[in-house]
Amino acid sequence: MAADLTASQSATLRAVVDTVVPADDDPGGVEAGVLRYLAGQFRGDLAGLLAYYGAGLDAIDAEAREVYGAGFALLRPGRREALLKAVEAGDTHTPWPFDAATFVSTVVGHVMEGFYGDPGNGGNRDAVSWRMIRFEVRD
Amino acid sequence: MRVDAVVVGSGAGGGVAAAVLAQAGKQVLVLERGRDVTYEEIGRDHLRNHRIARHPHRAGTDLEGNPRVFVDVAGRERLVRAHEPGFHGNPTLVGGGTRLYGAQAWRFLPADFAMASTYGVPAGSSLADWPIGYDDLAPFYERAEWEIGVCGDHVASSRHWPRAKPYPMPPLPEGLQARALRQGAAALGWDVLPVPLLINSVPYAGRDGCTRCGHCVGFACPADAKNGSHNTVLRRALATGRARLLPEAVAERVECDPAGRVTGVRWVDRSGARHVVEAEVVICAAGAIETARLLQNSPTRREPYGLGNNHDQVGRHLQGHTYAWALGEMPEPVHDGLGPGVSLATLDFAHQNDGVVGGAMLADEFTVLPIAFWARNLPPDLPRWGLDNKRYMRENYRRVMRVGGPVQEIPSPDARARLDRHVRDRWGIPVARLSGTTHPETLRTAAHLAGRARAWLHASGARRTWTEPAHLALHAGQHQSGTCRMGDDERASVVDRWGRVHGHDNLYVMDASVHVTNGALNPVLTIMALAFRAAERLCADW
Ligand SMILES: Cc1cc2nc3c(=O)[nH]c(=O)nc-3n(C[C@H](O)[C@H](O)[C@H](O)COP(=O)(O)OP(=O)(O)OC[C@H]3O[C@@H](n4cnc5c(N)ncnc54)[C@H](O)[C@@H]3O)c2cc1C
Ligand code: SF4
Repeated sequence: MAADLTASQSATLRAVVDTVVPADDDPGGVEAGVLRYLAGQFRGDLAGLLAYYGAGLDAIDAEAREVYGAGFALLRPGRREALLKAVEAGDTHTPWPFDAATFVSTVVGHVMEGFYGDPGNGGNRDAVSWRMIRFEVRD
Repeated sequence: MRVDAVVVGSGAGGGVAAAVLAQAGKQVLVLERGRDVTYEEIGRDHLRNHRIARHPHRAGTDLEGNPRVFVDVAGRERLVRAHEPGFHGNPTLVGGGTRLYGAQAWRFLPADFAMASTYGVPAGSSLADWPIGYDDLAPFYERAEWEIGVCGDHVASSRHWPRAKPYPMPPLPEGLQARALRQGAAALGWDVLPVPLLINSVPYAGRDGCTRCGHCVGFACPADAKNGSHNTVLRRALATGRARLLPEAVAERVECDPAGRVTGVRWVDRSGARHVVEAEVVICAAGAIETARLLQNSPTRREPYGLGNNHDQVGRHLQGHTYAWALGEMPEPVHDGLGPGVSLATLDFAHQNDGVVGGAMLADEFTVLPIAFWARNLPPDLPRWGLDNKRYMRENYRRVMRVGGPVQEIPSPDARARLDRHVRDRWGIPVARLSGTTHPETLRTAAHLAGRARAWLHASGARRTWTEPAHLALHAGQHQSGTCRMGDDERASVVDRWGRVHGHDNLYVMDASVHVTNGALNPVLTIMALAFRAAERLCADW
């Protein structure tokens, strides 16, 4: 995945993506290609945000260890969601390098771009989200 | 180089001006800052377009070297790039806004030209009447409808405007949104009409009809069925052999001799080299912000703050439209995927609303891109992410419908486009500095209209509706206007009723800048009609 995130940051990101868009009868964010979208963006429009992402993902992981005693990627889905909600509400237990709520809403925005954006941007594999909501492309 | 006329900008006003002049036998040079791009180059990128720009644009303004300075309501200033909030941009490419617009083709209503005498002037606002009325413009609206190509329902429209001649094309067939809204309007006793569109509902003028593709607003048309400057008036101008279009040519300054006579335009090519083209007449049609910038960047000894600016009017009264809207969750799907999407309107609240000034046309929405739907169309109490969010998207993308419209803004003299004193663009030209807001009175009108939008959705069967109050802000992006307002009094306006800059025989403005007020409807047909009128008069007097 994104070349310049560490292995643990990448694992946290993957877990965050599937928390923001969980799998159900339809694919979740990871299966829909959101990581691929983000990897592309980190080489393009979001190149300047890579360090921000890295630091924020580390902070989420630290929160998880503080609150639940395990890294974010190892938590079960309910706990991931609860933790991300708490961070989004600014209810944090560890020091953050920047505003935690802004970080969550930034990441959520990008994940949704990867999920609901056009497949040409690298996410939304086979237009899976468009089929889910029944947005059809005509010429 | 020497020509009869230089037209700065190839958008709605500039395209018309170029055609009228070239067809009247004049040698015309059109300078266009943007590129001449193909349909493929504009593409269908859902993250980079003029409907929802989450990342830098594909259709201009370019990211690098073209910032503006934006001063927000609280007086904080910041540097903004083209896709960022505060920039207040319009497409920068051949055809300007008309290449990508939603193509709603409204005439302003008779009362739109007489706002001050109809409502009085709210304290602190610069609300004023136009020096011309609907009847002066009616023949030119008709010309725009026929020469650029509009589809619509003549009978329904005739209930609101005196109209001499039908539209050249019938309206597009109505879809699910219109069907639901028609029922709601009938229950409420409201009048409705099909939205007139600058779209070929049937083949017209040698081009095909709309294929209902659904990527309409914010995108170029795959069928070449959306009518704009690029495929009508500009094409006709070039076909005369007397017009030349130079893309990637930035007008930097209008040149003027010591006696005040305009002599030409200095412009910058893509390599940064400067050129001067001499001309008998110069027509500014760069859009409301860039036209104001160009005039202000053309100071002379007689006019040290820029051409036409000795009364400090250039760049003031910057306005657009505050949008009033509501969303409704319908019991049945109303999204049928058939573009352009917008289809049915009511004008019952464009004027004569109790206790507020002005009003707005209300209509349904263009086909909504999924990412835009996620960003803007979800109920406020729904979590922004997680399983509930996904479920709602799945179940309701086809059910949620927006009704909204452009609220006639009450202009403020303090809403301004000026030159920034410090920041320069890639060619060293001072950038636009935007500040001020619409007048607070606009918000009362917007709140009233949002209530009407909700009522319409409820009557049409919505299970629930929601809205958000409009904020006191500058809303001068796609509908930007007013910076060189038209008037008979040169102390309170920039151009006369024919678009000629006061104090100059041969300098004109023919774009949205000249609007005194911006109507209760989308502005582009008015920009075109005014340009037809002004250019025709210019040729007649030449
Ligand atoms: C996505 C979208 C949807 C819209 N939908 C509608 C709609 O449905 N109905 C409606 O009425 N209106 C709509 N509009 C608004 C409409 O397009 C504008 O009101 C209209 O195009 C403005 O016309 P104009 O002539 O003032 O300027 P523009 O059309 O903006 O043209 C100005 C041109 O000047 C060029 N230029 C600027 N500076 C310079 C310079 N220094 N040198 C050379 N060239 C320069 C620009 O690149 C541009 O091409 C929409 C706009 C957008 C972006
Ligand atoms: S909806 Fe019709 S007019 Fe609009 S872009 Fe698609 S084909 Fe063209």
